[in-house]
Amino acid sequence: MDGSRVSRSGERAIFWTLPAVAVVWIAAFFLFPGFVPPMSPKASAAEVAAFYRDHLSRVRYSMILFNWFCVALIPILMLLVERMRGMAHRTPVLRYCVIGVAGAAPIAFLTSTVFWLIAAFRPDRSPALTQMCNDLAWITFTCGVPFLIALCVFVAVAIAYDDQERPVFPRWVARFNLVIALALVPSCFAGLTLDGAFAWNGFVSFWVKNVAIAVWIVVMAVVLRNAMDRDGIAVGVGA
Amino acid sequence: MSLVASLRTDAKRELWFVWYSTVAFYSLYTVVFFVLTRTQPPGHPWLTPEQAVGWFADRHSGLLVGFALIFVLGGFSATSIALITYSIRRMSVSRAYAYSYLILYAIAAIPGFVFICVAMTVGAMRPDRDPVLMHWLYDFGFLSFSGTMGVFLVGSLIWMAAILLDKNGVFPRWFGYLNLCNALTEVVIAPSWIFQRGVLAWNGVIAWWIDVAVFGMYTVVFIYLLRNLIQRDDLGTGPVPALPPGAARRAHPLAKVIAG
Repeated sequence: MDGSRVSRSGERAIFWTLPAVAVVWIAAFFLFPGFVPPMSPKASAAEVAAFYRDHLSRVRYSMILFNWFCVALIPILMLLVERMRGMAHRTPVLRYCVIGVAGAAPIAFLTSTVFWLIAAFRPDRSPALTQMCNDLAWITFTCGVPFLIALCVFVAVAIAYDDQERPVFPRWVARFNLVIALALVPSCFAGLTLDGAFAWNGFVSFWVKNVAIAVWIVVMAVVLRNAMDRDGIAVGVGA
Repeated sequence: MSLVASLRTDAKRELWFVWYSTVAFYSLYTVVFFVLTRTQPPGHPWLTPEQAVGWFADRHSGLLVGFALIFVLGGFSATSIALITYSIRRMSVSRAYAYSYLILYAIAAIPGFVFICVAMTVGAMRPDRDPVLMHWLYDFGFLSFSGTMGVFLVGSLIWMAAILLDKNGVFPRWFGYLNLCNALTEVVIAPSWIFQRGVLAWNGVIAWWIDVAVFGMYTVVFIYLLRNLIQRDDLGTGPVPALPPGAARRAHPLAKVIAG
């Protein structure tokens, strides 16, 4: 709506932090010994305590990496917010919706790294306490997706309302966002079971959820790049 | 105008989308906290660790299912924040007020309601956990929920100041002062961090019953006033016109009383 007089300077630099940050995320994901395979919620307190004793350094280093860089998604999401200025909306209210959840979504994840790091800080603590910290970390990590779900829905609604001849994002991106939102929903119920596909280490709550987030980031990066090109921000490597 | 038309073809459909989402979110919130999880009215702060274990056992599935629903839909709390931010942006005051409100309430979501959902889910998922730890999770849940104060305190004062300074007539002045009442609930809740019994404890007459009555009334009022604003809004930047006669006729009688 007021896109023409807004500076675009520096947006390209933010966009190209994404591949670097993605490499750090992937490295941290494989560095954390509790992700591949994901830790079982059925592990006893003694087993959980032993896990932290045996893998202390990898838990600490991977979670420090996530703590540093999970919030690096926020500047990328702000590029999305800037593209929304070009949409055929009459008010900025949907941008405010996206800004509202863009902060909370990675902060929820950051909170889970705090619980993981507390669990690892004193590995000689009582096993029951370590297990509680581990539970807090895993439930925050697995169920802490309300802001991502809302983000996908807000983006879908924003695209649906962008009815101009050349919309900022193609129509299918709205449907794609709704599919991702739906894929995240089952993980919210991970507290209900310690076993099976819906448990925090299960196919749905761990793999479907995390792959959905990864796919969302990749697909949105591509459509974001196309939209930035149209806004005259040369995002290409050679530009 | 039908719900479908207001969301599909109306010129203010974005505003209607966030308004209907706000109503849906607060309704869900009320059902989850009061009916499904029975975490409102809150448990007693003076429970022993063993009694806290019993408290979790008593509402095991309710806690897990209810808070799972908040994990699914809690992000829609952003709709009311966005709409209120828009209302401030629609005023004659600096955008600094609007952005302050947006950022204050957006970050409040984590300590304000995600913590209680996580603490109560972790408590309910292992009923055989050490009672001392169950007690800690119980305290963590309730204290983070009622004791996240500053963002709502300062946020309400920001909204109040914007309304009182505004020359566009976005809200009636008395609603500015009602924000002060909401801010004061965050002052009188502070002793709940200290007292385990009495009117100032987290379930006490002042810290819970009066606060919830004020917050409930405040919420119902601002939802009506936001609806009234959307109806009157000409999507411009100057004074907001009076309600068109047709819309005034259709408006709920209570909305007309509140709009003054």
